[in-house]
Amino acid sequence: MSKYKTTIGIEIHCELKTGTKMFSGAPVKFGETANTCTSVVDLAMPGTLPSVNKEAVRLAIKACTGLHCDIDPLVKFDRKNYYYSDLPKGFQITQQFHPIGRDGYVEIETEEGSKRIRIERIHMEEDTAKQFHRETGTYIDFNRAGVPLVEIVSRPDMHSAEEAAAYVDTLRQILLYLNVSDVKMEEGSMRCDVNISLSADDSLGTKTEIKNLNSIANVQKAVAAEIERQSRILDEGGRVEQATRRYDESQKTTVLMRKKEGAVDYKYFPEPNIFPIQLDPVWIRDIQDSMEELPAARRARFMKDYGLGEYDAQVLVADPAMADYYEEAAKAAKDAKKTANWVIGDLSAALNRDNRTFANAGVAPEHLAQLVNLVADGTISGKQAKTVFEDMLSSGKEPAKIVEEKGMKQVTDEGAILALVTEVLDANPKSIEDYKAGKDRAIGFLVGQVMKKSRGTANPKRTNELIREELAKR
Amino acid sequence: MAFEQTVSVQESLRRIHDLQPELNAAVTVIDDAPETGIPVILKDNISTKGIRTTASSKILDNYVPVYDATIVTKLKEAGFTPVAKASMDELGMGGTNRNAATGPVHNAWDHDRISGGSSGGSAVLAARQAAPLAIGSDTGDSVRKPASYNGVIGVKPTYGRISRYGIIPYASSLDHVGYFTTTVRDAAAALEILAGRDDHDMTSSLEPVGHYEAELDPSLEGKTIAVFDTVADAVQDPVIRQAFADLVKKMEAAGAKIVHVSMPEQLMNLIAPVYKTIANSEAAANHSNLDGIRFGVRKPGESVEDVMTASRTAGFSSYVRARFVIGSYSLFEENQDRLFRKAQKIRRLISDAYAQMFDGVDAVICPAAPTVAPLLEESSDVRFGQDEFVEEHMQLANFTGYPSMVLPMGRENGLPFAVEIAAKPFAEQMMFDVAAGMEEILEETSHE
Repeated sequence: MSKYKTTIGIEIHCELKTGTKMFSGAPVKFGETANTCTSVVDLAMPGTLPSVNKEAVRLAIKACTGLHCDIDPLVKFDRKNYYYSDLPKGFQITQQFHPIGRDGYVEIETEEGSKRIRIERIHMEEDTAKQFHRETGTYIDFNRAGVPLVEIVSRPDMHSAEEAAAYVDTLRQILLYLNVSDVKMEEGSMRCDVNISLSADDSLGTKTEIKNLNSIANVQKAVAAEIERQSRILDEGGRVEQATRRYDESQKTTVLMRKKEGAVDYKYFPEPNIFPIQLDPVWIRDIQDSMEELPAARRARFMKDYGLGEYDAQVLVADPAMADYYEEAAKAAKDAKKTANWVIGDLSAALNRDNRTFANAGVAPEHLAQLVNLVADGTISGKQAKTVFEDMLSSGKEPAKIVEEKGMKQVTDEGAILALVTEVLDANPKSIEDYKAGKDRAIGFLVGQVMKKSRGTANPKRTNELIREELAKR
Repeated sequence: MAFEQTVSVQESLRRIHDLQPELNAAVTVIDDAPETGIPVILKDNISTKGIRTTASSKILDNYVPVYDATIVTKLKEAGFTPVAKASMDELGMGGTNRNAATGPVHNAWDHDRISGGSSGGSAVLAARQAAPLAIGSDTGDSVRKPASYNGVIGVKPTYGRISRYGIIPYASSLDHVGYFTTTVRDAAAALEILAGRDDHDMTSSLEPVGHYEAELDPSLEGKTIAVFDTVADAVQDPVIRQAFADLVKKMEAAGAKIVHVSMPEQLMNLIAPVYKTIANSEAAANHSNLDGIRFGVRKPGESVEDVMTASRTAGFSSYVRARFVIGSYSLFEENQDRLFRKAQKIRRLISDAYAQMFDGVDAVICPAAPTVAPLLEESSDVRFGQDEFVEEHMQLANFTGYPSMVLPMGRENGLPFAVEIAAKPFAEQMMFDVAAGMEEILEETSHE
């Protein structure tokens, strides 16, 4: 544990899931051929003017609501002026003076329990073009130019790498649940900049900014590495230099991108081509009333309605498609907890192995429920269920049918099992001796033999009981 | 009917070519224009698909838009055929039309005098009847001042009345599309064609467009006309003063109720500095897209940044570059409070005072310019701190967005001068009605 107090603030840029761009009608698509999703507006052809995308405003309102922000019903935009080849207009239209959302928060889960991280502001803006620096020159793809973004700025309320990662993950889940953004960090639809400073006392130290983090795991690793780096500098009596850094995965450390040499003056001023837009309170309320369930609410509901533990609820809810699948299955299943085990365990592993997703699982949720019920009924054993499950994955058949076809019904008939038990005991006098000599594990061997003879159809619990009864008689 | 007196496209093209050595008004003549339709001249900051559009700036010398401005589409749909792209002060910055990449435009009636600007090319071609309609843009009297100097009607309707989509901007909060005609009837008809909501321009208005031509009513009977004394009294030229006084008297005789309004001179004296601060600031940002990267003239450089710097240095005149510097300076964080934001506040104060003059009146009138067109060699756009409000007062309609037009009022030694008519927002019908009434009076006067 560091002897310094760590202070972390995070800025997150999220691309909004709209069909068209923030200020033009060009389509928003990822992975298209360069410069095919653009318009004269995105290329800043002379004379073009911005038109605000209503859907982007709607999504921003959902984000604000999900993050408990106050919404400014008077939408205003400003210009942020700077020259860069990825910025066609020479200015970015953003919301510097009047962000659409202010003073929100999220609750994150930490080892010390849940903690509130305050959000300073959420504002809408447009993305820049993407640059590729090659040996033959710099190439610019304007497909990304003008894609709608929200920037979410936290207060410096985080104090460890774990908290930083938890904050990003919590935010990611909320935006995913609200269908506001794809939040794919690896594709850049969610990008985070982390500001970190260390201090030996209550004052704030010099901060560094880490950019271009492409996964939540890397957020945690990068912050941990940066805390370590800054601690070392301070230990040695040095001074941390204000700079922008990036995380190098192979070196497991942060490396310098550029020093901060005085603040850039962006000459912000109100965008004259967009008059302030007064949002209709009824429209805002309609958006808020029809919002999707948030992750925290869903977790609470899973724990209450399905009797799940906090861990199971968290794992399921983290992936909305998984949680949807689980709910479908749990509705028809007699044992919601066992259903959760199947979904989190075998099914997740199988989908992972086969490169599939819950949205396209191959096994219908009702079938999984049926499988759970067959075990609960005692129709098949847990072990048989695993075999049936593999068959379900490959054939897509319903489990009852598989059980029937394979003649897998569990034998619970006393007489039939007893006959097998007698047969096995007669054939294994050594094991009987061992048992009498106090070696309890002989039972396991004998049960195994009975199961083998029954080709797995004998009810293991009943078999065990009968063996003990028979041994006592011998 | 409007545009009855039109020339054919072919005749229009012939006249433009014939006038070129004398006026230097066209940047591009559209010789392959379709032969049908009513010819229309477009200022060279209006985007025309497939037709070079330079805004009279070197940096756009090779720029050919891939789209039509909304008004170009509207004009074509209404049966108009663009015949020329007319010279202007570079990017709209200037009031003389001396600062154009193709050289100065000459006054329609005196080769030694300025056309006025920035819509000088459109103004002189309209004045010499190369076409019955010429489109310009008006950021700070850039249609109305050259209209006054060349003896044509110049109209700047309410802000938001005509879409600005596709007009290479100067200063967005002050920019208006305007136009030149030779009759009030044509002016009324032109607005019906050009006006209307455009979803590509969020500042364009949803206010319904009037039937300006059909409802044109030249009767001054019962109309309340306010004389803007602050300006009228400041005009020195005795010929202009007399012509204006005569006009007012005749309007009264025609049944108009004449009242007098004024504005504090303290505010009037702030028009020019406020205008320049806001216009230059917005312009500096608006023209940041002109970097030689995606379009326009690209100058070589080691890095992308070098290319931008080289292209902008070579592509703009020093006059325009100076305005960008002034604009950027006004926007710097440490300067904004005392420059840009202060200018915005004063703009509001001026606008409030201007609006008060319209209480209970139908139109406010005054001489458009205090003089006839100045001599080329005596004029300058570089005159910071020397502006007099009597020259700059028509910028009030740009500050407020109020509709304003000028109507030729007379001539002095053959050189035209005009009267300005301003009305309340979206009261263009009233503005045209008053102008039509004045037009009748002025026609009678000229026959006396």
